Amino acid sequence: MYSIIVVPPPTTEDERNRPQIRLAPGERLTFGRSAHDNDLRIAHDGVSRRAGEITAQGAFWILSNLSREQTYVVENPEGAGEHVKVAPGRLDAPIPFEFSRIVLPAAGDLLPLEVWAPRHDYLSGTGGLDGATTAPAFSVDRTKRYFAVLAALCEPRLRGTPHAPLPTVDQVADRLRPTWPAASRTSVQWNIDYLAVKLRLKPGPESADPGPRLNGKKESLVSLALRFDLVREDDLAVLAAPPGRVTR
Amino acid sequence: MTEPYAVPVPKGYRVGVWEVREPIATGAFGSVYAARRAGDAPGRGEGRSRPHAGEPELPRTAALKFLPTGTATPRRLNHLRELIEREVELYRRLRHPRLVRMYETLTVDDPDRPELDGATVLVLERAQGSLSALLTATPRPAAGPALLAQICEGLAQLHGAGWVHGDLKPANVLLMEDGSVRLADFNMAAELEGTHAYTPAFSTPDYTPPELLWTEIGERGRRIRPSADVWAFGVLAHLVLTDSFPLPGATPTARRDAAAAYARGTDELRLSPDLPEAWREIVRGCLTRTHTDRITTDALLRRVEAATGTGHLPFRLPRLRPPRHRLRRLSLAAAAAAIATAALAYGIGVRGDDAPGGGSGGSGATANVSAAAYGAAELRTDRGVPPAYRLLIVETAHDCDQKDVTPVLIAAMLKVESDFDPDLADPANDEYGIARWTPRVLRWWMNEDGTPGETVPHPPFPPAESIPAMGRYLCWIAPRLHEELPGDRRVLIAAAYRRSYRTVNAAGGVPPDVRAYADRVAHYLKEYAPPGKR
Repeated sequence: MYSIIVVPPPTTEDERNRPQIRLAPGERLTFGRSAHDNDLRIAHDGVSRRAGEITAQGAFWILSNLSREQTYVVENPEGAGEHVKVAPGRLDAPIPFEFSRIVLPAAGDLLPLEVWAPRHDYLSGTGGLDGATTAPAFSVDRTKRYFAVLAALCEPRLRGTPHAPLPTVDQVADRLRPTWPAASRTSVQWNIDYLAVKLRLKPGPESADPGPRLNGKKESLVSLALRFDLVREDDLAVLAAPPGRVTR
Repeated sequence: MTEPYAVPVPKGYRVGVWEVREPIATGAFGSVYAARRAGDAPGRGEGRSRPHAGEPELPRTAALKFLPTGTATPRRLNHLRELIEREVELYRRLRHPRLVRMYETLTVDDPDRPELDGATVLVLERAQGSLSALLTATPRPAAGPALLAQICEGLAQLHGAGWVHGDLKPANVLLMEDGSVRLADFNMAAELEGTHAYTPAFSTPDYTPPELLWTEIGERGRRIRPSADVWAFGVLAHLVLTDSFPLPGATPTARRDAAAAYARGTDELRLSPDLPEAWREIVRGCLTRTHTDRITTDALLRRVEAATGTGHLPFRLPRLRPPRHRLRRLSLAAAAAAIATAALAYGIGVRGDDAPGGGSGGSGATANVSAAAYGAAELRTDRGVPPAYRLLIVETAHDCDQKDVTPVLIAAMLKVESDFDPDLADPANDEYGIARWTPRVLRWWMNEDGTPGETVPHPPFPPAESIPAMGRYLCWIAPRLHEELPGDRRVLIAAAYRRSYRTVNAAGGVPPDVRAYADRVAHYLKEYAPPGKR
């Protein structure tokens, strides 16, 4: 029942598989340099002993800046510079982004602490805001990059035969590069992993095995997306225009 | 109604034998229109299929549910087919008194109207309105507990048959012309596979149990259990009885977060103080933090029945809007008195007319004077015993030489057992028909010559079989009850019909568990007895 995921800054040991801390509405997570005062220790001398607190608040989250002097900047990595500044001592500042990166200034370094809010609600095609309307369990933002990645994964099946082979991660990156120049294998893979979290994909029996796992995840995502019409043929338009930018 | 209809169908449009009338409602997946049968000349319908062979004739009016499955409809949705298949499959396989009936399915074949061409049409029983409309017009309806008891019966029937509804809410509870309740809208319904079922990943936020909020979803959809319907029933009961949701919050999102906080154990359940005491425990039993703690459907039904004081007896709600031709009769003093006493006896409103169950009873009520007055010396004619059954009741009593087995006793028992409902089906208790026969018991009394049936009979048990069998059984019970037992022997016979003569003899009178039943029988014994007679 978690609604917020916190991904701590990378440390040298866990470069590839960064841990994720899941918070349910109402749960808090304190972070800072001190090991016993905080739920999440950030071992860097430039970080305050008690640096801040993240509280999951329904589908969004709030940030308290407990440091004395440092302003924290919360960036939206997909928002073309969109950000929120949280001044020292400010408590419970609401953060509206689905993806956020809290940048902690720490003695010349900038430590990114990522927070995801995968439960943001979006107006679905049929229903209003009424709690009595039958609504799909998925809520996707069609302007986000993850949606472009999902569309690219579904494209062969939407355009061609129902059993067309899925594109590889590299093919997806190539397909998206005209509209998203920074697309890379890593960033596409990141979005696939995020989609699995966002769509609450049930880990299949193959998830223990690292080999076919990637493939299994893509396959499950595409079958779920097509089954519930998360991506339709009209949505393939996102592959032609970059999300949130003007094509030249 | 200002909102756009998902499937616009012009008034007067013909599909199969149906002529479309006014729109009734539009849901997330399709639109429902009223329709009347325009004759047997087929209209623009093809691929017509009826769920059961040998089906009785189609009714005069029906509700037509149009689902946009055509290739040119603007909402060409992959999952729609699957949702419709679920619904049709359920209607094909389940037929219960508390579930809406489907008469047939049609496919529109009309190339001139691309927006309609290919649409699937489900022809359903016409309801008078939905619980949602009733609650809008009358928050906290007085008949609330009775409505809830019937909704709970519907859930028990559905779960007993191995299905989960998946989207129980006021809009999906229909109220019929006679005031009874039907569950409808089975797009999310799914058949259980072991302990759970897979349903499409749609839900109505205010009625979704916390374990399904943000649940993991596999390729087959999400896993749900019957306990999800039980949670929804708890929310619905709270809403019907108090006009508020059980979880706090002004918006569905706030209530969803409150549900999540409650399920995590960080918040307590604070039910409305307006909730009657008997219902407080029921709602608590439905709204538990985890599905494992939730009350089972059968236990829920028993508690709801205890709270509404109905036992397992059926009852009817006051008509929402009595048809015109009944108004005159309702104004008669005698009928009014019958309603008043019946209402007192049940503690709830009881239907005032005397011809329930439709069939031959309804139309024969006023036309056939001789049937209406049959046996008037032994059974009152002005207390609501349906004329259609008077002959059977009186002659069955005459067939028995026991002085206590009288027309009044049989009529009183039929009233209490089924309210003279020939179509009663109560699979949860394995009881069917006007006399609530349990099939394996009926086997011993079904033949006139006293020999048991070769096999256990299967319902339906029509009145012409049920009532004489009941007479034979009562006639056999009467001499087996001890002479010295206290009280009215007719009431003791009725109690023995429920619990066996041995139980009554052992208890030395009416056993405590059938006390309420016996009291109601005693009430109708007085009610139906002609003046000066017992």
